[in-house]
Amino acid sequence: MDKGDMAGSAANNSSDFVSSSWSRSSLFTAPHLIITRRMLEDPSYDAIVRWGEGGESFVVLENEKFTKSILPKHFKHSNFASFVRQLNKYDFHKVRQNNEDNAPSQYGPNAWEFKHPEFQANKKDSLDNIRRKAPAPRKPAQAIDDQYPAQQIDLINSQLMATQQQLQHLSERYQDLAQGHVVLLQQVVQLQKFVKNHDGVMHRVMGFLHSVDAQRRNSRIEGPFGNNAAPGIGSREPLSNDGPVDDHPASPLQQASELLGEISVDSLQNKELEQLSADLQFRNDYSTPPNDHSATMAPPSETSSTHIGYSAGNDLDSMVYPVGHTNGIDPINSEHINNIPYALPPHGMIPVNPMPEMVPEGNANLGRKKGLMEPIWGMNKPRVLLVEDDKMCAKIGSKFLQAFECGVETARDGLEAVNKINNGAGQYDLILMDIIMPNLDGVSATVCIREFRPDIPIVAMTSNIRTDDIDMYFRYGMNDVLPKPFTKEGMLKSLQKHLASFLKGAQFPNSAPMPHPGGFAPQNAPHPPLGLNMAQLSAGQSLKDETSPGKSPATAGSWHSPNQIPGHSPVGHPPGYMQAPMRDNPYPMTPTHPHPQHGYQLPPNQIGQPRGTPQHRRVMSDMSGGPSEEHPDVKRQRMFPPPPPGSQGGFQQ
Amino acid sequence: MPSRHEEERSEEGSVGDGLPDLGDSIDALTFEQILEMDDDEDEREFSKSIVFGFFEQAEETFVKMDKALEDRDLAELSSLGHFLKGSSATLGLTKVKESCEKIQHYGQQKDEAGTTDEPDEDLCLSRIKAILVVVKEEYAEVEKVLKKFYATPAAS
Repeated sequence: MDKGDMAGSAANNSSDFVSSSWSRSSLFTAPHLIITRRMLEDPSYDAIVRWGEGGESFVVLENEKFTKSILPKHFKHSNFASFVRQLNKYDFHKVRQNNEDNAPSQYGPNAWEFKHPEFQANKKDSLDNIRRKAPAPRKPAQAIDDQYPAQQIDLINSQLMATQQQLQHLSERYQDLAQGHVVLLQQVVQLQKFVKNHDGVMHRVMGFLHSVDAQRRNSRIEGPFGNNAAPGIGSREPLSNDGPVDDHPASPLQQASELLGEISVDSLQNKELEQLSADLQFRNDYSTPPNDHSATMAPPSETSSTHIGYSAGNDLDSMVYPVGHTNGIDPINSEHINNIPYALPPHGMIPVNPMPEMVPEGNANLGRKKGLMEPIWGMNKPRVLLVEDDKMCAKIGSKFLQAFECGVETARDGLEAVNKINNGAGQYDLILMDIIMPNLDGVSATVCIREFRPDIPIVAMTSNIRTDDIDMYFRYGMNDVLPKPFTKEGMLKSLQKHLASFLKGAQFPNSAPMPHPGGFAPQNAPHPPLGLNMAQLSAGQSLKDETSPGKSPATAGSWHSPNQIPGHSPVGHPPGYMQAPMRDNPYPMTPTHPHPQHGYQLPPNQIGQPRGTPQHRRVMSDMSGGPSEEHPDVKRQRMFPPPPPGSQGGFQQ
Repeated sequence: MPSRHEEERSEEGSVGDGLPDLGDSIDALTFEQILEMDDDEDEREFSKSIVFGFFEQAEETFVKMDKALEDRDLAELSSLGHFLKGSSATLGLTKVKESCEKIQHYGQQKDEAGTTDEPDEDLCLSRIKAILVVVKEEYAEVEKVLKKFYATPAAS
């Protein structure tokens, strides 16, 4: 260290009063202290300010004189308080009066005695040590300011990381469970089909046995007439030869019939799905290892053909409406509606001709309604899938939708809806989903649909609109709620809200699918077709009568897990694409969260609602004192019991 | 009632004016929006099909309810109640809807409003039995009203 230079700097830095005698003072010694020391060494000030006894402190004896006569000479101010403040910043302490035994002060009542361990009469050099504590009046404060937030930020960062990790875990777990749920659903559906088919087979067998049995009895009756039993009949007898010899059907047959009657397919499937729904509800309690499902439940896939069908169907861009199809009605629509076994009024007074109703345009009588409903859509009309088990509601809903010039298709339960979405037969722009339905309830169906159509708006259409119900709908990926009984206005509002891109004058009048929020679209393409198996099942291909009973068809390879698709992680895509962005960039996780389901811990209005539904709270409040509904638990599990015969077919389809 | 649809046409906004004979069992606002869907207000084929479809559905459901009551199948009763509740609500058949809702709740072994548990199965069944009588009466009433409404020759 070049002391000379330092002294010069120090002198320039502080004031003219710093002399060469302070050569040891470094640049960093506070000028303030140097000046103070110099004041103390000036004997002419002794009466006012001087070293204390022993030189370990200094005393301002005459506060007033010090302030008025000495301070202005050395500092730019004459403020005793400032002087003291400076000292305090340098960790000087005022020697308190009561520290000294009795006397008020040995220097007088007005004396201020200041002390710093390094500020002593005989230790000039130790001034440097003081600057160590307080190099500059302002810097310490800044340092603290900087340090504090830094620590805070570290802390917050670590907390954030922990939280994100937790979130990630939760998301992964959720994904696993959701996946498992879908797999289970598929399996259940598979089982249902199997059981149903089995049931059919059993019935056929029973029928056959009954006929045999009847023949047997006939033969017995005929026997006494000396008509020696025909060999043909005799040869069949072993089939039922352990039956009692009377004129009733063999008792094993009767028992079997009873059993068949008791174990109805419907009750079976309901129980299973109920259970499944309950599981869904408590999924967070589960601790299933991530690979469990894929390991135990995913036989190798053999059915790649369906993938092709799926991806073709899922190719949103290729699925815009047929050119020139501007009336919003697709042939599929009327076709389909004709297939719906709506019971016609029994009185025969009603013209049996649904077709004119299917065509909103070209009907002069629509004039009045048309006046009410100005065309709201642009070039393309949206297509809506109406999922509703109650045929009346479905009919009215369809009618309203047609009045709004939407293309309408209906599905009679969640299963049919999933199949329709999955088959790619129709690309829908919005789904209106009843909640309580046979075979597959609306919430479960939504979960399935979300697996491959994360973007399509799904509006719950239900009379169960208690807050916890609604929370559940949102949690499982639904976007909105249309309370039942729905009104035309409510429906229209909902359509306008969720089909904004179709509105006349919308920015993207030609885009058939909803514009995805960033990052959505890419996920669609490689997405494994989770629900495909159901389509497969529903096509009735799954029955394997020849399969031995011990070998469940569900695990025997007739269905496959999408997890097996090459290039995907064993737990399927969702964790995969969740992890990647999260690891690379921990912060934007939630915003880029593409999958509505992941957001289950978020406020409902953020879930899968990129277009934002600020109104959704309002929607809820709009529900004019909806009737208090079933207990949510019960409701969640509630499936329709055996559906009315007319709608049974939905399961088969 | 030759003027019915005329009235409706002219007073679209004023609910119920066109249908003074529907009584208080039917929520005019809800029912009217279905009537509005009729392409031809003389034929009323759409709403008619809906309404008569409902009759059919309701009668079927009542039969099933009776059966379920006999079988003491509360879950079935609840589900049937829910089912009919939905259809009747859609038509605006307020009273029927409310009774069906009660059946739904009783079937879940809850009280009328569905808020409190009612573990006594017999009580629930007897309550359902009672309300079933009521709902059938309520249904008969609206059926009569609606059938009259549709039977009235639409002269114009």
